[in-house]
Amino acid sequence: MSSAGAAPADAAALARVLTSLETVILGKPAQIRLCLACLLARGHLLIEDVPGVGKTTLAHALAHVLGLAWQRVQFTSDLLPADIIGVSVFDRASQRFNFRQGPIFTQLLLADEVNRASPRTQSALLEAMEERQVSIDGTTYALPEPFFVVATQNPHEQLGTYALPESQLDRFLMRVTLGYPDAAHERELLRGGERRELLPGMPAALSAAGVAAVQRAVRAVHVADALLDYTQGLIARSRERTDLKIGLSPRAGQGLVRAAQAWAYLDARQAVLPEDVQAVLGAVVAHRLEARDPAPGAPADFAAEIVRAVPVPL
Amino acid sequence: MPDTAAGADAGRGSPRPLLWACAALGGGLLLHADRVPAWAALLALGLLLWRVASARRGRWAPALALRALLALALVVLVLARFRTLNGLAAGTTLLILMAGLKLLETRTRRDYFVLVGTGLFLLLAACLDRQDLLRVPLYALEAWVCCAALAVIGAQGLAPRAALALAGRALLLAAPLAALLFVFFPRLPGSFWAIPRDQQAVTGLADSMSPGSILSLVTSYDTAFRVRFAAEVPPPQERYWRGPVLHEFDGHTWRRAPDAYRPRQALHFLGTAYRYHVWLEPSRQHWWLALDTPAHSPDLHAQLTYDYELLGSEPVAQGLAFEAVSYTHTAAAAPLAAGARREDTALPSGSNPRTAQLAASLRGRTASDAQLVQAALEYLRGGGFVYSLEPPPLGADAVDDFLFRTREGFCGHYASAFVVLMRAAGIPARVVTGYLGGEWNPVARFFVVRQSDAHAWAEVWLEGRGWTRVDPTAVVAPERLRRGILDLLPQGLSVSERMIRSSPWLAYLLQRWDAANDWWSERVLQFDYGAQLDLLARLGIRTPDARQLGWAFMLALLGWLALITWHVGRGGRAARPDALARAYARLCRKLARIAPPRAPHQGPLSLAAVVAAHRPELAPAVRALLERYAQLRYGPPQGAGQARAVAEFRRAVAQLALP
Repeated sequence: MSSAGAAPADAAALARVLTSLETVILGKPAQIRLCLACLLARGHLLIEDVPGVGKTTLAHALAHVLGLAWQRVQFTSDLLPADIIGVSVFDRASQRFNFRQGPIFTQLLLADEVNRASPRTQSALLEAMEERQVSIDGTTYALPEPFFVVATQNPHEQLGTYALPESQLDRFLMRVTLGYPDAAHERELLRGGERRELLPGMPAALSAAGVAAVQRAVRAVHVADALLDYTQGLIARSRERTDLKIGLSPRAGQGLVRAAQAWAYLDARQAVLPEDVQAVLGAVVAHRLEARDPAPGAPADFAAEIVRAVPVPL
Repeated sequence: MPDTAAGADAGRGSPRPLLWACAALGGGLLLHADRVPAWAALLALGLLLWRVASARRGRWAPALALRALLALALVVLVLARFRTLNGLAAGTTLLILMAGLKLLETRTRRDYFVLVGTGLFLLLAACLDRQDLLRVPLYALEAWVCCAALAVIGAQGLAPRAALALAGRALLLAAPLAALLFVFFPRLPGSFWAIPRDQQAVTGLADSMSPGSILSLVTSYDTAFRVRFAAEVPPPQERYWRGPVLHEFDGHTWRRAPDAYRPRQALHFLGTAYRYHVWLEPSRQHWWLALDTPAHSPDLHAQLTYDYELLGSEPVAQGLAFEAVSYTHTAAAAPLAAGARREDTALPSGSNPRTAQLAASLRGRTASDAQLVQAALEYLRGGGFVYSLEPPPLGADAVDDFLFRTREGFCGHYASAFVVLMRAAGIPARVVTGYLGGEWNPVARFFVVRQSDAHAWAEVWLEGRGWTRVDPTAVVAPERLRRGILDLLPQGLSVSERMIRSSPWLAYLLQRWDAANDWWSERVLQFDYGAQLDLLARLGIRTPDARQLGWAFMLALLGWLALITWHVGRGGRAARPDALARAYARLCRKLARIAPPRAPHQGPLSLAAVVAAHRPELAPAVRALLERYAQLRYGPPQGAGQARAVAEFRRAVAQLALP
């Protein structure tokens, strides 16, 4: 297989991005790769885990290493849409309203504990995610390019949270779970101290323009008809299953292909293989598939079962 | 019929289902169009066209009372025409008329299905009626159209092209099943499927002959029967095929003797014994045509009469084959019985006086019967007689008229006149009708005897020799012995037939066609209980009983159904593998020898990883191959180079050596 995928400069930059991220988040190369693929596929990322495993650090590191401007919003139940989007303020001097941009006008927005905010605030954020623009008082303001939302949520805290509805979960391309580090990496963490302090010493491996270029290159990765057949087979299988509440949406299918393109690009390939789809499938469907009878089985199992049930086209 | 929701739906939708249902029904109608009265066919087709036209305008449906009245009127019409509703013709006529009426109240999908079902029923009736090879493609076409119509009308509502493809595939899948049923389905001896035949369509010889009667046969190019000789082939002048032997004469018409038992004339058979096989076309007549004098009856279902006719116990309705032995020279082993002599010298009193005078004068000039026969033939030869298929009409004393006035006629006239002359001279004589000659088909190596070869000749009783064949026509037109009537008198042929006979190429095609027809009637139409036993014996089933046959049949059926199920189940999932997929499958089979076989959901790179884990030393070569496959299958198409790249990949797979 030809490896003339990424241009050499991009390939080197991406390799540096990955190494940098791995020095910050120890022992999670697969998750880091998924997060990067998600952003390169122009998707928003949902990180779900218990507190203290490095969710925020990962988001921070992503923004830093990719060379993006970023903002962080801690979501609380009294957060208002204006706190995110911005507000029009009357300026006495000029006798007119001036729009004061909120924290959403950035390239990477870290929405911490997104499920703590009220549905109204959530939906304001999620609308901006989909449209990549905000409208206030009849004026539309485009968001910067690139624009990512990395949201985190804590699945175990139920009190005072508003779970994201399925329609809004669908707007996240991937959901990634970090999990606890293994013993060796945990020990290193204990010895090394605060990982976030490493960040300022690291150079940014990419810039906003560089990220946009890579995103364009990702879209050019070839997707053969055979692979589309395969993707359709996977989607159809998810819809056939009676133990799931709903199958995968067409948007999920689009996201699956884009994520697989990014994954292939990270592997320096110019064509998507079934393996790429399989690799991203778990993260892409994790927050979309829900058991009808929620007792057994984590969603990741659904992905594995779907993969096993659909033969790869010869 | 009340307007249901489904009805409204089908009525207002696209006209396609209606058109297809009408096509299926119309095909069925056309198969019978020449079998039913013209008015019925036209009426049904007219109703069909009217329904299609009214669908386009969106206006239709006469009131219920009117439809009921029409139905009743048509039943009465059929009853008036046939005097029954039973039987093939009446039943078919009724069916197509009612199908036409059904069109008047066709609006729901269910009605369309009824129309297609009627089309299929008409097809079945046509299959029972006629089984010529020529019609087989028509039947297949109609079956195809009907099945496609079902697919168009059905809930899925396929487009015509897809429906035709689906129906074609389904029929092809069913064809082996039909063949199995044909070969193994237990057959009952006897004609179980015989359907009541109408006596109207008579082709072939009749049991009487009046001066013009043979003419209708002579101008027909239809095949009467086919003959294949086992060894010796008789010379052309002895290829006389015996049909009805006529004894009674009323001055105008010759008839067979009344049915009564008479002992068969004892004969010595002389010369060559000709052994041959005959395939008779359906004639709805009792005669089995055999060469001149058959030695014995070939079959339990036929008897050899006292005058050596082969008479079947039932009319030949479906075509028939038999094997016989004949002689062309015989001598009487016993004197002529007094009753037979009386019968074969009788003439209506007072008729044909000039013929009687001629007989008396011939008798006076000759010493023996044999000399008299020769003298009579001389008279015909020298009397200015002409062979013609369009003779002038004859008066009351037909033979006198013919012998002394018109002197123009064909075999019937000559045989009749000659026999009357002989009887007037006191010599026992009779008219034999049948066929003369036959056309050699070098492709199938048999003789085709056509209706146009129909002939009539005379037999006279000569003391010491017995019945002797005399062909007065041969004296007048000696060429008739070597060539068919139609060669002699080409004006008797239609234009197309003349074309066939003047072009060797067309004649060759025709011979091919005859050979194919022969195969069809011998192998397919005549495949009866006996043929089935023969075939089973050749397959190793020596003593088949119904149960064994049933088991064999069930097993074959189950096997075929399993095959279809497998095919359909597989076809739903994956398309036919192309060259690349085949090469990849081969690679996977090879790799399965050194590593766990590829799981269906494993892609090429995962497979490479599995192989690398099991046989690290082979990993680079295997990985390179698998990456090549991935590039070919999932990479951007390489245009013209793709085929070459696939071929190279296939070679590389073939050359991959796995120690």
